[in-house]
Amino acid sequence: MNEMVDVGSGLVAIGAGVAIGLAGLGAGMAEKDIGAAAVGAIAENPKNFGRSLVMTVIPETIVIFGLVIAFLLMGKI
Amino acid sequence: MLLPEKMCRILIVGSKDRLKDTTEVLYSLSLVHPIDYLEGDEGLSIGTPFAEASEVSSRLLKLRAIEKDLDIGEGASAPPMAVPEVQKRLDEELTGLEAQVTSITESKNQLSSRQAALENEKSLLMPLTTIPLDLELYSGYETLTVFTGVVREDPQALAPLGDVEVFKSTEGQFVAVFVTKEKAAEAQRILVSNGFTEVVVPKGKGSPAELIKSIESEEASISKELEEAKEKAARLRKDNLGLILASDEQLSIEVEKAEFPLRIASTKNAFVIDAWVPLKQEAKVKTALQSKLSESVHFEVLEVKNRKEMHVEDTEHDHDIAEDTTPVKMSERKPLSMFNGFTELISTPKYSEVDPTAIIAITFPIFFGLMVGDVAYGVMFAVLGFIGLRKVRSDDWKTISTMLFFGGIWATFFGLFMFGEGFGMHFATHGTDITWSSLLGIDFPHAINLGGISIPLGVFSKLDNVNTLLYISVWIGVFHLFLGFGLGLFNISMRVGVKHAIMEKFGWVLILLGMALLLPVVVANVNNILAMDFGSMAVLAPLGILIVGLVISLIGEGPLSILELPSLLSNILSYTRLTAIGTSKAGLALAFNQIALVMLAPMGGAGIVFGIVIFMVGHLTVFMLAIISAGIHGIRLHYVELFQKFYLGGGTKFNPLRIVRKHTSER
Repeated sequence: MNEMVDVGSGLVAIGAGVAIGLAGLGAGMAEKDIGAAAVGAIAENPKNFGRSLVMTVIPETIVIFGLVIAFLLMGKI
Repeated sequence: MLLPEKMCRILIVGSKDRLKDTTEVLYSLSLVHPIDYLEGDEGLSIGTPFAEASEVSSRLLKLRAIEKDLDIGEGASAPPMAVPEVQKRLDEELTGLEAQVTSITESKNQLSSRQAALENEKSLLMPLTTIPLDLELYSGYETLTVFTGVVREDPQALAPLGDVEVFKSTEGQFVAVFVTKEKAAEAQRILVSNGFTEVVVPKGKGSPAELIKSIESEEASISKELEEAKEKAARLRKDNLGLILASDEQLSIEVEKAEFPLRIASTKNAFVIDAWVPLKQEAKVKTALQSKLSESVHFEVLEVKNRKEMHVEDTEHDHDIAEDTTPVKMSERKPLSMFNGFTELISTPKYSEVDPTAIIAITFPIFFGLMVGDVAYGVMFAVLGFIGLRKVRSDDWKTISTMLFFGGIWATFFGLFMFGEGFGMHFATHGTDITWSSLLGIDFPHAINLGGISIPLGVFSKLDNVNTLLYISVWIGVFHLFLGFGLGLFNISMRVGVKHAIMEKFGWVLILLGMALLLPVVVANVNNILAMDFGSMAVLAPLGILIVGLVISLIGEGPLSILELPSLLSNILSYTRLTAIGTSKAGLALAFNQIALVMLAPMGGAGIVFGIVIFMVGHLTVFMLAIISAGIHGIRLHYVELFQKFYLGGGTKFNPLRIVRKHTSER
């Protein structure tokens, strides 16, 4: 990106950033409660680790969606 | 291999005087999973422990007390000891050892409490050392009252009172006030107004400083004695560690065996053992019992457990009773069994379903390898895993080592042929990027020729071919999910019947097929979905399949299945993390390489040193992150996306009567 890029490309790049950033934020908000509950469950019985892990990572897919959208947007520049 | 081993239920009946021998035989076989008897029917009752149980238990209790005193925990280890030797030494030495340990512990306790008392005395005397008065001078007056204590401010108002003498410590905090009895009340009021807190003067004679000196010398001798006692305990621990560990194990085994009758049913003169045995080994159990106990016990196979569920059409109540508790014996063959831990992490499989360990063993390391995709990291992971597999003892770490070892091998494979990179740098020239070719000045080829076949060394670049890699990972997801639905179809048809399986799962297979067939069309038009030719066969045919599938699901599972559609889509897209994580790792590695090799190293001198440090720290970070992200995301794809399609879990683990010896040996 040595020469000046046009405004449209810049906006697309910002959009890509916003897509992944907000997706990450959303996933984090969703995961925080599950994570706290999961730690509690594991503290009570370590055997719950596997199931807790599964529950905790369920919202993580949202970030992946954000990432895919970001890549698709970046492809347009 | 995919299904848990077939089980049969056996019944062993005999007279009580044969129970002990029977127990020995069953323990030596390690094949019999007893069904714990719950009291309540047919005039049977729970058995009573063998006579030696109480004595062995009390010895074990003593031994455990010794272990606690000598600080012998879980992790302690010593070379194993032969059983006869353990028994002999246990008889001879346990009492003596106990006496020794008790006396050491007692003297240790006494010394510690004396030490605490001295410390307390010392802290009382400490403030008095600042005032040049002997202890006996603080008390025993008829006309004087003495106040000793700490003040916040210097009580200067005392001086005008007359008939008063004030001693102050050098910093003015501690005061001793001698005042006539008549003026005591007034003096106290002044003191209190200056923030006085009383300090009690201990009884005794002589100067406080000298008293403290003598206390300190006593303390020194006590701490020396304590050290000696500790040393003695340590010596005792070292000398007897092997014996203690071996005895603990031996006694635990004896207690377990002696209490075995508590798990079975018995009458006044007979016992009944109800148990599960792997079908293949049933004959072995029978022969062993007959050869060792001749015909004195009765052995019978009650049923060979079918995988079909008990009839569901009966009432709900009956269905509850049919709750499957058949134990599940997971494969014990390596390398498959090394992955058992991953399945156990969720739950033991049911008897009537496919054990998913084999799938995990195949696809999990591949996913791990794809996400890492780097020769250097791959080799490091494989080596680390190999060392782990040889050294670590705990099951959890073994499972992690398994992941690292096999994942590392695949990572090396993908890193070499698919991505052609090590430490985030391509081998062959790649545009103007920094590569191993440009770094070392050797021109690495893009492909090697082996016997006329060209083997590529790096087809894709993680950072440049993102869209292609995303597309590939979506297809991996589609196939993985097909596998999941296929297993679901198989499980249900085995458990309930083919018709049920088709209603429940086949619809979803068709929906997934429709989505998969639509995928290339959608991807080809990804920049402008609306411009797609909706009338063409390429769109209509997959849509048709999808709708047929949806109709089957609607009939089979009801209207809720429409809500499941988006989650299937998100399941497929979830596999794009295979690429996303690889790409993010490559981005991180690239950043560190740029800083270390392009910015710092050419500066020379300190730049090279800093460059090396950044390079090492940076790649260590990426390496550690790779364990967490590739490991967790790889296994997550199995637990969340794949298992949901077929896995129930909640089975009972096969846990036969057996003896595991770590600190003792049979011979």
